[in-house]
Amino acid sequence: MPMIDLGGRSLEVSDEGFLLNPEQWDEDLAAHLARAEEGLEALTDEHWAVIRFIRDHFEQNHGAPMVRAVCKATGLPLKRVYELFPSGPARGACKLAGLPKPDGCV
Amino acid sequence: MTDIDSLDRRLERLTDADLARGLDIFRDRLGAAGAAWLQTCVRCGLCAESCHYFLADGETASIPAHKLEQVAAGFRGRFTPLGRLAPALAGARPFDRALARAWVEAAFGRCSACGRCSLNCTTGVNVAAVMRAARATLTELGLIPADLQQVVTTALETGNNMAISREDWLDTLQWIEEETQAAVGDPAARIPVDRQGANILFTVNPREPKFFPLGLQASATVFHAAGEDWTVASEGWDLTNYGLFSGNNAEAGAIARNLLDSMERLGCRTLVIGECGHGFAAARWESAEWLRQRPLFRIISFLELMESYFRQGRLRVDPARVTDRVTLHDPCNTVRQGGVSEPQRAILRRCVTDFVEMTPHGADNFCCGGGGGQLAMAEYRDKRLQAGCIKAEQIRATGARIVAAPCHNCIDQLMELNREYKLGVRIMTVAEIVSDALVLPAAAPGKESHEPAS
Repeated sequence: MPMIDLGGRSLEVSDEGFLLNPEQWDEDLAAHLARAEEGLEALTDEHWAVIRFIRDHFEQNHGAPMVRAVCKATGLPLKRVYELFPSGPARGACKLAGLPKPDGCV
Repeated sequence: MTDIDSLDRRLERLTDADLARGLDIFRDRLGAAGAAWLQTCVRCGLCAESCHYFLADGETASIPAHKLEQVAAGFRGRFTPLGRLAPALAGARPFDRALARAWVEAAFGRCSACGRCSLNCTTGVNVAAVMRAARATLTELGLIPADLQQVVTTALETGNNMAISREDWLDTLQWIEEETQAAVGDPAARIPVDRQGANILFTVNPREPKFFPLGLQASATVFHAAGEDWTVASEGWDLTNYGLFSGNNAEAGAIARNLLDSMERLGCRTLVIGECGHGFAAARWESAEWLRQRPLFRIISFLELMESYFRQGRLRVDPARVTDRVTLHDPCNTVRQGGVSEPQRAILRRCVTDFVEMTPHGADNFCCGGGGGQLAMAEYRDKRLQAGCIKAEQIRATGARIVAAPCHNCIDQLMELNREYKLGVRIMTVAEIVSDALVLPAAAPGKESHEPAS
């Protein structure tokens, strides 16, 4: 499996760049993945609102939230979510929040 | 790598009896016609350049005839007299762990079951069907990539392949109904749930409610504009069926049953499969075989339905609203395997000003590279993106800014190709393009929404 070296830590990710051990996630890693995987040099408050909500949801429910829940919690319009994360909510935002790749056609 | 190690371990656990049973399954699945295919390849090589894997990597292992030969060798070693007596002469090999590994590589690792090689085969070998039979064997032996089987299992356990709860599904439907009403400025734009006896039962890919509901909103907008009597089901609404990719017909049939049950429960006239290639092929063409039961209602693609609205004069569009150049991707399971090719073209010619075809296109188009469950198999990601270069270059050559892709699975692969190969295009469903071009009927004055979505 590929590894990410970050701040003295070695983190294992899947062939598709999803963190293999979700408990290793922190905000430094999110910022790193944003640059490496999404081409986002800096994360704005809007990005963080989405990432932190998805992370909290994951820690409580062990899965990715509906994009409906993301919009409801952050107050962001749906189209804004796609603008913020070029790869979309699943391969983009969920990956930055340290979730495993969601099942299905994503 | 963990996945390869895990395949090693799974191979190690297989007994000779397991392997023999696997080969029995393969023979039973093939039937007589399939067994004949294994013997009719004349190695003409035309299939090589029909396969996006071979065109992308130039490796012998990617030539469809080579993949077929791996599979056929195991069959001959046990089921043909010459293969038993003189294996070297017959091109026969024992179906052992090494050959089982070669099957995994051929059937899962280097095949998206797109069927393009079959179209170009001089002797009419249905390679995709043989590969699916090989997958059935590998799945039975526990050698299927774990992530792919997980999608099947989730669908069997929860009724949809993303484990979306009924509450979340209904909440999203209500939200998208409100969004649609706001966008079209008409509270009569509804997403009716469980409407008994509706003309149309519309089904979706779970990816839409979970992550990409704009496609669902576009579909609802089209239904509203056409004045259709339609509904979605509160249960049994997922059109996907990854049993098509795993090869397990019992599981594929159980998943296919969900949609038929919804049709029976709601008494609708026509089952409409949303924009999804494999879901269409599974419901329209394969489910009757899996279930040994011919459905008593029509099953059509949403593309066919939208095109019929245009023919009936039920949709008004202004193509001047979509002036970017648009090209069209042909999902293998909708077009080459599914036979629906013209409706989407007729729709686009009406809805956009600058429609250009890829070369080649229609039934001869190339796979996006994400078919056959490839998107669910992380271990083959690099190969998938490499094989996708053929599609990427096809798109680039059109000069299009928008790629219409009537398949959610293709859309995900195309989104990745868009980034990987810096294509700078937008990927849209056909309904999204229709929705953008629509000239909506004025809202009836004083007409209110009847009841909240239940």
